[in-house]
Amino acid sequence: MASGALLRGNATAGTRRPRRSRLRAWLYLLPALVVYAGFAIYSAAGTVWFSFLDWDGVAPPTWAGLANYTRVLTEPLLAGAILNGLVLIVFFSLIPIAVGLLLTGLLLGRVRTGMTFFRTVFFLPQVLPLVAVGITWRWLYSDDGMINRALETVGLGAITHAWLGDYHFALIALGLIGTWCMSGLCMVLFMSGAQRIDPSLHEAAAIDGAGPLRRFRYVTLPGLRREVGIAAVITTIAALASFDLVFVTTNGGPAGQTNVPALLVYRLAFNEGTIGGASALAVVLTLIVIVLVSAIRLLTREAK
Amino acid sequence: MSTRSTDPPPIRSRIDRALIRGAAGATAVLLLTSCATLSSGNGERDNVPEDVSTDITDEPVELTLAYTDDPPSTELVEGFTEQHPNVSIELQQTPFTDYVKTVTLSMSSDEAPDIAQYNPGAMRSLIPSGHVMDLEPYVEAYGWEESFPEATLEPLRADEDATRFGTGSLYAVPGALSVLGVFYNRELLARAGVEEPPATFEEFEDALAAVDEEGIAPFSVGGLEVGGFQVWNTLLNAFGDHEAYRDWVHGAPGSTIETDEAMTATGILTRWVEAGYIPESANATSDDDAKAAFGNGESAFLMIGNWAAFEMEEALGEDVGFFLLPGEDPDQVPMTSGSSVSYTVSSGTEHPDVAAAFLDYLSSPEAARIQLDTGFMPVDTDASTGEGGVLEEINSVYGTAAEQDGIVPFPDFATPGMIDQLTPGVQGLIAGSTDEETFLSDLQAEWDRVHG
Repeated sequence: MASGALLRGNATAGTRRPRRSRLRAWLYLLPALVVYAGFAIYSAAGTVWFSFLDWDGVAPPTWAGLANYTRVLTEPLLAGAILNGLVLIVFFSLIPIAVGLLLTGLLLGRVRTGMTFFRTVFFLPQVLPLVAVGITWRWLYSDDGMINRALETVGLGAITHAWLGDYHFALIALGLIGTWCMSGLCMVLFMSGAQRIDPSLHEAAAIDGAGPLRRFRYVTLPGLRREVGIAAVITTIAALASFDLVFVTTNGGPAGQTNVPALLVYRLAFNEGTIGGASALAVVLTLIVIVLVSAIRLLTREAK
Repeated sequence: MSTRSTDPPPIRSRIDRALIRGAAGATAVLLLTSCATLSSGNGERDNVPEDVSTDITDEPVELTLAYTDDPPSTELVEGFTEQHPNVSIELQQTPFTDYVKTVTLSMSSDEAPDIAQYNPGAMRSLIPSGHVMDLEPYVEAYGWEESFPEATLEPLRADEDATRFGTGSLYAVPGALSVLGVFYNRELLARAGVEEPPATFEEFEDALAAVDEEGIAPFSVGGLEVGGFQVWNTLLNAFGDHEAYRDWVHGAPGSTIETDEAMTATGILTRWVEAGYIPESANATSDDDAKAAFGNGESAFLMIGNWAAFEMEEALGEDVGFFLLPGEDPDQVPMTSGSSVSYTVSSGTEHPDVAAAFLDYLSSPEAARIQLDTGFMPVDTDASTGEGGVLEEINSVYGTAAEQDGIVPFPDFATPGMIDQLTPGVQGLIAGSTDEETFLSDLQAEWDRVHG
């Protein structure tokens, strides 16, 4: 809110500024703009251009029209990868938001000491490089890994698996790593949002006889609307654009069960040298990200 | 109080960062691809050298060499420059995962390295565009057909469009050889009552059953990575129709992998899965994990190449042995997949004779010493480690196979994307979600896409 006010303040001040100082403002922006245009906008536009070509990266490219897009949408391998990306949203986004809300509800107003400790512990997965996270989880999930050992200890030896190698469980197992990574991030976002809610609202609700559950439902949750939106955007992008985690844990296996779009973009471009197909898949992926993110922002927009 | 420290601006900047990531992050991989420009591939170049000589200049010469495998590249370059002190070679290393891309771009640029480590994927663009030197004039000048084993030169030949390999002009020579085979643990086999390495496939299967009976895991398989299809590859070598298979890998028109022999080999793999010799957990096991398990004495056999020999010898010492998987007939020529770390010359080099002298050096006895010391098979197959152990054993079975024309290429050389069919395909066989016919027809579909 404070930042919103700040932005509005800037905007009104801006309209009053003389022309020269606006030029100067652009001058200040220029270095960043050049870098952004050169390394993000130009590259993205190049990708769109490549997606219409048949090109191996060296020989002269030929025009391919929409053939690359047809391949992306009709080839089961590529379409399947997009579907897997959508499944991952459940594990990277929906479950972490639910867990984050639960943790917030439990910690809020009860834990007076050690809050920093809990926040640090739950946020820790965000600080670790995903490659390290992936390799650690691969060991945890392995045939004689800690998870199977734990299952055996409690008498569930019959259901032990090499989880990431299981044809049916691999995607779920992979998704749960994402849940572990993202839940802490969601919780930290929600905690900071919840602490900003005016305590008098809680007090008023309590005086009206609302229990902790109702106060959470009618005071905390509506107050967290914006943070939920942010969390959903960040985690959805992480799900759809996931690459490193998949690359080091399953590399798309077993038998393509955990293929995700970014992994196939990499393979098409760098293993097979089909730059056009890789670009087309990347463009489709970007469009899906934009559509989903816009939808989330629309849903979580605060009523004016 | 800590609760007040989290005020809106940091959150805001998180959103901004998230949105920037959204705009750019999903396309992050593309930033790399778009570094390539459309200006390369400037038509035909003359890539056949004229006036070749086997004498090289005494003037100081500086060359650059682009490579990915180390060892043996650094060691071989040092060996060569020791013999020719007027030559200095600058080394440019790129990690394997980026090598195809980097070497393709640098060899097609105006400042190409003089020598580059060969890569079949990169050759598919570099040979047709004339950036790689046709070595035929040097083959004759130096007599390379004599000094290099033919089996090692064959995969380095290609036609002018680089659509078909194994025929046409020579574009590279090998600098160190690798070979695929079966490592075994003598002690574990002895515990199961198997005293000798098997001489026929039937004996091998008996050994598997005996080991399994004893409660020892027959195999360690790194199905997560390439370990899975190396098992299939090994079986195919023992059962396949080798001429048809060579043609298929080299892209000869009309070739197919959907043969009865390949079906037999694939069928044995699935039978081993059903028998529990290859566990489903193999699909979650990396190559390093599989090597570690075998090295810890947790399994009796490991199908992998000589590149693991040093590690295995270190882990198991006298207990580790190596053989090529035998076929059903004990008199059958031992077959194995072999490849090499090879080197090509840029057609733009100013010192073709010096570059060729380096290639010639690779078949020398001095180079053989280096190749052996760095854990490879020497190009000069008569060379010996003189130290016994598993390295000597590998070297001798390789020599026997090479003499009888028993070296075939690896299946993933068939197309640049074949490895992405082989690994998931074998994972499907291990998981039981793919049948033999589908596995082979998927491989063939990938082949048809490139060569059809």
